[in-house]
Amino acid sequence: MLLICGTAPRKDLPLTEGDAILQGDTLRIGPAAVPCTQGTASLVSAACKTLEFLGQSPPRALLVGDDGSGKGSRLLYEHLIAHLPRLAPQVVVLHYMLPVMGLMRKVSEAASKAKKRPFLIADAAAMYAAKAAGIAREFDLFTPDLSELAFLADPQATHPAYVSRHLFESDSSRIPELVAAAYANGSAARTLVVKGATDHIAQDGRIVDRLAEPNLPALEAIGGTGDTISGMVGALVSAGFDAVTAACVAVRANRTAGLYAGATPATRIWQVIEALPRVFADHLDEWSRQAGTRNIERSAS
Amino acid sequence: MFFKSGKKNGFEGGGLVLFENVEEAMSGERALKAEGVENRLVAPPPELRKGCDLALEINLVEKPAVERMLRSRQAHFIDILPMKGDAELLEVVQVTDFGDAVMVKAGNMKLTFDKSSGVVLNISGGGCPDIPYLHAQMLAKPLDRAPRPKEMGHTLCSLMLDRAYVQSLDIWKNGGR
Repeated sequence: MLLICGTAPRKDLPLTEGDAILQGDTLRIGPAAVPCTQGTASLVSAACKTLEFLGQSPPRALLVGDDGSGKGSRLLYEHLIAHLPRLAPQVVVLHYMLPVMGLMRKVSEAASKAKKRPFLIADAAAMYAAKAAGIAREFDLFTPDLSELAFLADPQATHPAYVSRHLFESDSSRIPELVAAAYANGSAARTLVVKGATDHIAQDGRIVDRLAEPNLPALEAIGGTGDTISGMVGALVSAGFDAVTAACVAVRANRTAGLYAGATPATRIWQVIEALPRVFADHLDEWSRQAGTRNIERSAS
Repeated sequence: MFFKSGKKNGFEGGGLVLFENVEEAMSGERALKAEGVENRLVAPPPELRKGCDLALEINLVEKPAVERMLRSRQAHFIDILPMKGDAELLEVVQVTDFGDAVMVKAGNMKLTFDKSSGVVLNISGGGCPDIPYLHAQMLAKPLDRAPRPKEMGHTLCSLMLDRAYVQSLDIWKNGGR
């Protein structure tokens, strides 16, 4: 089971857990309806489309309303700390939530109390909390963009807003150096999916894949295009793909969905997500084969 | 193997509110407690000390909300600083011209608006829970009628979005240049 945890931009949404279903531009979780916009709703929606294409059960979503005050986020943390061992998900994605270091530590401890520790993915502020709390290595996969990679590479920073200027101003040519720094200071999960003009995938400190095509600069402007990658990776790992193959497929699917949707800076994220089934139908087999071949080459080298 | 917090009550915020004197620090603590904001009185490290030798540790991420709460309760403070690392918020702003639209990036936040109408087309980046909320409040509104992130947001991500917003407004008022 894939469990996705995060917040929704509604003050009135209580902690809600259930199977997620995407209908047009609206995400439904039990009785709750959440618009598919930037944030965890985009992540869940991309996971829905991916699992639906693969003929798998829908993702389980644990969402709570939070306008940034952190009240909803704290309910979410407490729920996970109390119930994660019982829920026993195979994969957990932690996403938009107020970063609280002490509570994130307890969530990781709760994950270890499950019969089998789930594959832990963190994106957005859940990743900030894991890094700031010094427990990045307990996570299986992070999905930073370039500014967030600079944050991971800065051993002192507790939020991307306080990253050292020289690291923040790095361009994509310095990604290998930043990746190396993030692993060296213990601020990287085992696998990193660095989202940017050129996507980079790294595992155990080594960059294993790069992707720059199709080149669609408008994707960076569209709120949710990073969230969709995390959602697809979570869905693919829960469906049995290894982390690197899942990441290779997800970054390709994201770019190609942008192409199919005719992405412009005004495109809404649900329009990109809507293109995913066609993208998978056209390319999933080919990308999985290519990633498998790369895996074999990597193992042999 | 897990890292231990090393803090008696498990609270680690990473941010310090500095005060001129002990009375102000106590008043600040009362103000934040009344608002339900997690904090604790600590002795600031010598290298960060300004004013008195009592400070409040807060969750640094909540800096904008804490500032607003303290000001609304007339609780005077000198500064709010990270306990380690760079003391200055990122000032760097990058601009991308898409032709009809402009994307302004400040820190981990990006705001994209239509050059002619000033309408907010998209907000991307960030990770704190006020960002999807601000996205919903600002989207499809002209910049001069959209709520200001600094006034509505709670977190450092909203401060970064505010920087992008201010720069966007300036660019738009100067004809998209």
